[in-house]
Amino acid sequence: MSFFAAFVLSVALPGTEDPEQRAWTIQAERVYTGTGRNLEKGLVVVSAGKISAVTPGAGDDGERPRDRLSVYAVTAGFVDIGVRVTNWYSVEQSKEVTPHLRVADTLDPFALDWDRQLRNGVTTVLVSPADRNVIGGLSVALKTAGPESISARTLRADAVLRGSMGSEPSSGNHPAFGRPTDFYSRRPTTRMGVEWEWRNAFFTAAEKRDTKDAGTATLIAALQGKMPIFIQAWTTQDIRTAVFLREEVESRPEFQGMNTPRFVIDAGAEAWKEPQLLARSKTAVVLPPFPASARTRENSLMAWNVAKVLEDAGVPFALSGHGSGDVSDRLAIQAGYAMAGGIGFESALAAVTSTPAMLIGVDARVGTLEVGKDADLVLWSGEPFQPGTRVVATIVDGVLRYEGWNAVRGAEIAR
Amino acid sequence: MTMTTKRAACSLTLTAAILCLAPDARAGDGRLAIKVGRIITNAGPDIENGTIVIEGGRIQSVGADAKGSWDAEVIDHPELVAFPGWVEAHSTRGMDRPNENIEVAPFLDVRDSIDPINFYFEDCLRQGVLAINVQQGNLCAIGGQGRVVKPFGLTIEDMTLRPASGVKIAVARPARSRALQAQSVRRAFRELRMHLEKLVQDKKDGKDTARREALFQGRDPEKDENKKGRAMDGASTWKVSDLEIVPRGEVDEKQEPLLRLVEGKLMAFVACDGAVSVTQALDIARENGFLANTVLVLEGDAWKAADRIAESGVPVVLAPQLLYIERDPITGREIETFVPGVFREKKVRFALQSQNSSTQSLWFQAATCVGYGIPREEAIAAATKVPAEILRLGDRLGTIENGRDGNILLLSGDPLAVTTTVQYVVLDGNLVYDRSQDKRVQQILEGIEQANAAPTGVEDPADIDPHSGEKKSGEKKSGDSKKPKSDEKKD
Repeated sequence: MSFFAAFVLSVALPGTEDPEQRAWTIQAERVYTGTGRNLEKGLVVVSAGKISAVTPGAGDDGERPRDRLSVYAVTAGFVDIGVRVTNWYSVEQSKEVTPHLRVADTLDPFALDWDRQLRNGVTTVLVSPADRNVIGGLSVALKTAGPESISARTLRADAVLRGSMGSEPSSGNHPAFGRPTDFYSRRPTTRMGVEWEWRNAFFTAAEKRDTKDAGTATLIAALQGKMPIFIQAWTTQDIRTAVFLREEVESRPEFQGMNTPRFVIDAGAEAWKEPQLLARSKTAVVLPPFPASARTRENSLMAWNVAKVLEDAGVPFALSGHGSGDVSDRLAIQAGYAMAGGIGFESALAAVTSTPAMLIGVDARVGTLEVGKDADLVLWSGEPFQPGTRVVATIVDGVLRYEGWNAVRGAEIAR
Repeated sequence: MTMTTKRAACSLTLTAAILCLAPDARAGDGRLAIKVGRIITNAGPDIENGTIVIEGGRIQSVGADAKGSWDAEVIDHPELVAFPGWVEAHSTRGMDRPNENIEVAPFLDVRDSIDPINFYFEDCLRQGVLAINVQQGNLCAIGGQGRVVKPFGLTIEDMTLRPASGVKIAVARPARSRALQAQSVRRAFRELRMHLEKLVQDKKDGKDTARREALFQGRDPEKDENKKGRAMDGASTWKVSDLEIVPRGEVDEKQEPLLRLVEGKLMAFVACDGAVSVTQALDIARENGFLANTVLVLEGDAWKAADRIAESGVPVVLAPQLLYIERDPITGREIETFVPGVFREKKVRFALQSQNSSTQSLWFQAATCVGYGIPREEAIAAATKVPAEILRLGDRLGTIENGRDGNILLLSGDPLAVTTTVQYVVLDGNLVYDRSQDKRVQQILEGIEQANAAPTGVEDPADIDPHSGEKKSGEKKSGDSKKPKSDEKKD
């Protein structure tokens, strides 16, 4: 029963005098490092915003210095590379393909979205433009807390080129019969139109190779594999379209010198249907939140064992909460749902930490508890990923940014 | 007999039980001995390696050394955990439509609206919710009577645990002024009073209109239970004197349920959309004498009236959303309130409601409570014992004890763990669910696609308005695929 026992944080009130305190010793019953080497009763030592030691040891029960936190479990901060905190205003709608536009320019460091993520243990997010365009632009990898400017929180600018297959980019558009009636009397209006926009963009970039044009330069960089290309594709047909597009780029002579793109399927709800296709084309998958019934957006069917199927096929996958701050949708519970679908704790942990960090190229800094990495930590009241366990604190770059034990009225999270 | 052969024999009997799930087979006279690794009785300490003996549909004995009779069917699963079923204190699902468009309709009964083969009940069984209080939605002033049902059975009668569990009253309604709605509710009781006074007056005047009306409505006022008059009972602030001279059978059938409510013989589930409607609800209940039979079904910021509710002593059913989030008007930051924690602090009895019938069913709600610091026993009680008591079924449901209904869940692990599944369900001493035979679980878990994949009753909870229980109309969720107009034209 200790499994669900709310664990008591037995410390003096931490760091109220110094909000920027960056040195901590976290003492935990379970240290889940994410490297395969977990500790029962261990210490994670943080200094100057970095992890300086991960060692076994129960610490000193007698003395409680003010930089010591004692919790049930500690994991690395979560990395959600599918947060959907942008709206349609983050997308320039005068063109369907705007690869060079940066979503970072539309973000507000004071928005409440970052707090919501922080409360649920998410310390790194990949923010992408909403899928109003076919190729929306450049996503940015950010910390969810830190200085009050987006650039200062940026972990990796232009981390990902982001676009979408399926019906979403064409939704709202309508064909002009006779005289166009408004701005949305335009193409694409169908799935094939959307795919045509992708191919048109790629082939035009390959033909022009004009690096002075910002959009073309971005496309070329992405096709050369300098940044991954995230393609939203919920259904099998859209996943296929994306994979075949990639294989076309890899094999056609037009793309010589720019035929090594890294594709990641975002929101691949139906990825379980053809895991071997994804394995063959070395395409990773970001899974959307598990739906209550098996159907989710685009009328896709998301089987509960999707993570297990991908794991068995060797397809790298990350989980996402799509930016939800809700206790029943947040990223931590998605990992629990994936476990209910058959994967083990370590795989679930990797799918919300190291794998997404690797997919967007920030794994040198975040994703595991290792000496030298950023001190992004989540402190848990019990076993992570269970609905009966809470995030009791979140540390970003060594700073205690969320303190669950006094943040929620009506909740009893003892210090 | 060795363990293995016993198990083999047991699985044979299980198969047999599943093959004959016709309603006749569940008369409840089966003798059953359930042996499991752990019994969570929910009424004292857990029992390791215990046996639950069920006879005649009721639990006969529970314990490490409990023994069934020699001919009892044995279910032997040392790897499983036995747990009493979850109890849903209030739900507007399982009906073809949750609302009637008559404002005051206490004479209606969800009996006529519940669809036994609705997918919802199947889902309840799968999640181990073994009693559901189905109530009308909130689009009414005074709605129809609810009913507590089991999620198994081919007819309503088979499913029913308790008919007439209470009427729904809504003191506020979307897109209607609070004043008008409150007036509608109060007017219903005023009309009842006027009706009763007229009956008394008519009787004194020697008119027999009421008797003739009763005959016209198909009731026999001469029948024994109808013939007697009775002075008005109950705690209401108003009384109709001399009501004893009116045979009860002559009270109009449309008014009769309200009279029962006023006399304290029927419960009321009063929907409060926020703190502002709580006082209104309690006042109306006090004036009309049904406070002691009132359960508040809360939404929104109704928890802010927790002191008022505590004072009144009424129990509450909490909104599915347990974490209430509001914005501080000064700082602009979000303030989170864990609603069950507030009621626990104020010592108000509260029951939890599922968010949906699958992933966030009652176990999830109880687990969330544990996460926010509510002791495990209390969190589980809020989805078992407390709702059972609120529904006046405390002596039948909620625990594994002698004399209780033979309802047992056999779980693969801890009831609050995300990876735990309901393996078997025993209802009234009959095995009614076996996960290994559950085709739809396989479809959802392993993604077996069906050609016709939307059975009735499957609803996306996001599409259901929490207030009315109706499907939201109009507004589509963003990102839903829109059909291009050109296609429509071609169609």
